[in-house]
Amino acid sequence: MLSRAALRTVAARQSASTALVARGSATDSGVRDEKNFPRPVRGEPGKVRLGFIPEEWFQFFHSKTGVTGPYTFGVGLATYLFSKEIYVLEHEYYTGLSLLVMVYIATKKFGPNLAAWLDKEVESVEKDWNAGRQQTITDLQEAIENEKKAQWRAQGQEQLIEAKKENVLLQLEAAYRERVMNAYSEVKRRLDYQLEKANVERRLSQKHMVEWIVANVTKAITPDQEKQTLDRCIADLSALAAARK
Amino acid sequence: MAIGDYPKEYNPAVHGPYDPARYYGKPDTPFGQVKLSELGSWFGRRNKTPQAIAGAFSRAWWRWQHKYMQPKKAGVAPFFQLLVGSMTFFYAINYGKMKHHRNYKYH
Repeated sequence: MLSRAALRTVAARQSASTALVARGSATDSGVRDEKNFPRPVRGEPGKVRLGFIPEEWFQFFHSKTGVTGPYTFGVGLATYLFSKEIYVLEHEYYTGLSLLVMVYIATKKFGPNLAAWLDKEVESVEKDWNAGRQQTITDLQEAIENEKKAQWRAQGQEQLIEAKKENVLLQLEAAYRERVMNAYSEVKRRLDYQLEKANVERRLSQKHMVEWIVANVTKAITPDQEKQTLDRCIADLSALAAARK
Repeated sequence: MAIGDYPKEYNPAVHGPYDPARYYGKPDTPFGQVKLSELGSWFGRRNKTPQAIAGAFSRAWWRWQHKYMQPKKAGVAPFFQLLVGSMTFFYAINYGKMKHHRNYKYH
């Protein structure tokens, strides 16, 4: 029971805090405000004079005192600090002075080389860090190209399947025509056979009929009739001979 | 707001990526544009809780970081600034001992 009450209070507090957050941003519509809150960019380093004093501090003097004003102010301030011994010239001051000279010489002597080397290192590190990203982008672009090519190939496969289907249809057509031709020729062969058979039967029967008729007619001729016919023929011939003479 | 949380006014949906150098509350008149007569009321409007003061220092630190330390081709200037700043700081905290090294009685 106790734990449940504790949970409830925790939930209530959480909802109260979220309500607070919501009220804090209630002035905005909850849409990203790019104009007043642009994404921070990494700029150039701020300008400095004398190695460390911001350029803006000098600019602050310019409108009031001119260009030499800030230097005059600096020298004046230093003079004041020295003369009132607010800045005490104890032994550490001279240590600091000699260190300053050493730092100045080191900066002038080794600074440019070190800067060039560091810039080179920065460039190489940045290139290294970008390399993986660039590589990934290139790989992904390549993958997209490959995918497009694969799709193009798949379309080619479709055309190929289409062509194969057409080919099969052509083969079916050819087979059909061959069979139709076959049926035609078979029917024609049979019809020709029937025709030939009918012709042969008719010829044979005609031949037999003629032979039978001739035989019967020859059998029907009596010797008298033959003799008469012969005589008649001789008479005709002689009559013809007489007529030709 | 516990330690490590974002400021209450910061809303990622509106403000985008968090900029530690930026104040996300309702902006008042910049200090450089405050007239001397309004200075009292301007200070009166400031939030002077320890969290707010720590936040102001944190923003100043990050503003300095973004300006001098974090650019791609940062120079030696930020290190000199740190050096001069720490020298001044340690001089100030040791001032009570330094005083005894004064060379002149009258100034």
